[in-house]
Amino acid sequence: MKDDELKEMAGLCAKCGTCRAVCTLYPHRRTENSAARGKVVILESALSGEDKDTAAVQEAMADCLLCGRCERECPNLVLYEELVMKARAALADEVGVPAWKSILFGKVMPRDGRMRALRKAGAAAARLLLKKVPSGSGLHYRFPAEFLTGGRTIPQLPAKGFIESLGKGEAASGDVLLFVGCVFDHFYPEVGRAAYETVKASGREVAVFREAACCGLPALVSGDRESALENIGANLRRLREAAPETIVFPCGSCLLMFKRNIPSLFKEGHPLHEDAAFVAERATDYASFILDSGVVDRLPEPPPAERPGEIGYHDSCHLTGTLGKGPEARRVLERAVGDAFAEMKGADLCCGYGGTFNIRDYPTSSKIGENKVKVAASGGTKVIAAGCSGCVLQMRDMAARVEPSMRVVHIAELVRRALARAK
Amino acid sequence: MDKTTLSALGEILGDRLRTDFETRTAYSFDALRKKFLPDAVGFPGDAAEVQRIVQLANRLRFPVVPRGAGTGFSGGSLPVHGGLVLSTERMDRILAIDTENLYAVVEPGVLTGALKEEVRKIGLFYPPDPASLKFSTIGGNIAECAGGMCAVKYGVTRDYVLALEAVLGTGELVRTGVVTMKGVAGYDLTRMLVGSEGTLGIITKATLKLIPLPESVTTLLALFPSNRHSADAVNAIVAARVTPAAMELMDRTAIDTVRETIPVDLPEGTRSALLIEVDGQELAVAREADRIAEACRSRGALEVRRASDAKGRDGLWTLRRSISPALRRVGAVKMNEDIVVPRSRLADMFDFLADLAARKRVTNVNFGHAGDGNVHVNFMVSGTDPDETRRAEEAVEEVFRAAVEMGGTITGEHGVGIIKAPFLEMEVGPMGISVMKRLKNCFDPNGILNPGKIFPEEAATAH
Repeated sequence: MKDDELKEMAGLCAKCGTCRAVCTLYPHRRTENSAARGKVVILESALSGEDKDTAAVQEAMADCLLCGRCERECPNLVLYEELVMKARAALADEVGVPAWKSILFGKVMPRDGRMRALRKAGAAAARLLLKKVPSGSGLHYRFPAEFLTGGRTIPQLPAKGFIESLGKGEAASGDVLLFVGCVFDHFYPEVGRAAYETVKASGREVAVFREAACCGLPALVSGDRESALENIGANLRRLREAAPETIVFPCGSCLLMFKRNIPSLFKEGHPLHEDAAFVAERATDYASFILDSGVVDRLPEPPPAERPGEIGYHDSCHLTGTLGKGPEARRVLERAVGDAFAEMKGADLCCGYGGTFNIRDYPTSSKIGENKVKVAASGGTKVIAAGCSGCVLQMRDMAARVEPSMRVVHIAELVRRALARAK
Repeated sequence: MDKTTLSALGEILGDRLRTDFETRTAYSFDALRKKFLPDAVGFPGDAAEVQRIVQLANRLRFPVVPRGAGTGFSGGSLPVHGGLVLSTERMDRILAIDTENLYAVVEPGVLTGALKEEVRKIGLFYPPDPASLKFSTIGGNIAECAGGMCAVKYGVTRDYVLALEAVLGTGELVRTGVVTMKGVAGYDLTRMLVGSEGTLGIITKATLKLIPLPESVTTLLALFPSNRHSADAVNAIVAARVTPAAMELMDRTAIDTVRETIPVDLPEGTRSALLIEVDGQELAVAREADRIAEACRSRGALEVRRASDAKGRDGLWTLRRSISPALRRVGAVKMNEDIVVPRSRLADMFDFLADLAARKRVTNVNFGHAGDGNVHVNFMVSGTDPDETRRAEEAVEEVFRAAVEMGGTITGEHGVGIIKAPFLEMEVGPMGISVMKRLKNCFDPNGILNPGKIFPEEAATAH
């Protein structure tokens, strides 16, 4: 394989080894292959033509959670997360998307209609296979769709997604646009609803971005550049047309996509460069909007907590780590729940979801995730609040496995409850 | 490596033997950034497995190259003649911490930083602090005798190794040293193994000395108009009978490089800086910091800053910490040397370097552990201009020669490896090499362990 951009990015790596000590996956693999510099060397070997086994190189690149710890610690400021993502795309161009991924993204994710169809099929299947698992936070069911195997717990798919549940003309126009994201639309419509209502509490006109395609991150990290570009192009075009002042993202991974990954795909001179910059400039995380738009000031003084410190905040890799948006969520929580919030043990541990990594290697993903939840519980946390869809999905699954009484919520759900107190 | 060899290794290691091309590739390098592909990579779990591997290697004659975390700068863990890379990554347990006799027993794959952190929790201190401490292993630190910033006060790795267990090149297991402070029974085999770069034995267990954790630390940043002034200040501090826990010097080239990347608030005319730490009991630390500040001012410091709280100290460290990331903007390839000169010759060395860089027309950035005379001399080259690379290589050789002539050494803490092998004789002489080779022959008569290191040889080219 040949790729000058990759070669240049990889060339910046000094092979010092800093990444080994911070890698989420390294403690589980315990080989150099899993750490960033090992991947760089393998990639360089492929780029030079020495390693011709493209499928094996692709597997090596796939074995990464994209948590970004390596690049945040890298003294040479090498953008490993982006490097691995671009390598996956370059490799897929050559040998195609790995089979286990095309099931998910080639057929399901790119177009919203497909997701909707799948959800409906899933709801029917789930009704047939009601198998309750212990959970204090509502019903969870084993979901038997073909790509979800290994006994994972996922929510019962509701009959209606959030966007579908909106009334005609409801949330149709406004200078604030809510980008709900696939998971909070289809899997957890109550989060989509909470985000919408709390954003609306700013007093500004809020439109829900109904025509949204998937943000493209799952396809992009899988190397399925074509599907990703299709979605990205459609989203950029529609967002540019809608021309909102602000675009609010309840999901940190969707936000990262629009803030960093898309602009990096369309550099200066690319026809979509301006659109990407337009959207990136207006994109904001949910917590920052709640703070800046004054919603937080409208929340009533929180009552003294029944169980102080029971609510913790999970630092998502993308949202806090890469985008630096951890303090904002904490300020929102302090106001929304008062002293029920306390710093959580292991707040910055990765949940282990890693997007497609969870599907590729569920056992390892689970080990990382179970540990995350257990550490949080050991510090006295009973409710984990988060701001990213993958993390919520994963931690709910993990809680069901090892800490059934642990609840995992989106921060918007807590803000919504605080707002309700005001009435 | 033939099939018989691989299957025999497989019998010992099971699925902890890897022969796939990607894993071999991932173990073909270290921080020297040269590449040699091993035939296989093995991850033994205990000393018995290491022993069986080395015994097999003696029978079937293949090289065994021990590797900790592959963070060395001299190529110590590179399989220059192929063979098996023996990674100690899976031997990573802290076996015991003895709080009465103050020592720790560890396996070689324990991260140095993890040990430091573990003993810190109970008020103890394992001082060695190579820059890589968070990701390098104790085994590698011992094999290379890693140094660090605190060497000026606390010494280097060798000063903390009380006893070792190692598998020699013959495949025999040897236990050296004692856990007590005193012990003179026979030759000092422990020191023989420390710094032997994996050529004499593979360390499988180490007993390390611990000391009480200093209760307080104060950091000072002194800014000077020239390296001469800094170097004078270093001598003045020593003359004031203070031993700082660290004394880092950054020269004009290093400061300018950082300034090009991040805004640093420095007084007009800053051309050199000393970052100094003192630790110990709070009152003593305050008095020592006063004396250091005074010594710096008396030698023409433009300004002396000082902090004792974590945040303030962190701020003072920014300049020093930002050098490495900033360097990549200067040149793609860093020739990173670690010469040492007697402290009193530091100023002469800096003058020499300035003249050398101008003569050879190469970019040169220097910083390092001024307290112990250890200077990290970096020549930054593009890597694409063969003439520039040649000039830099000539410069490196001149630096080594100057260091030895000033009464210093060609390597303070990185080791000889492959990169300094051609210059070893310059320092130790033919007799030194001869004795070393005889010792090597005694520990490893078949040349199994880490061949191609320390001693100059013809073959072995990186690709």
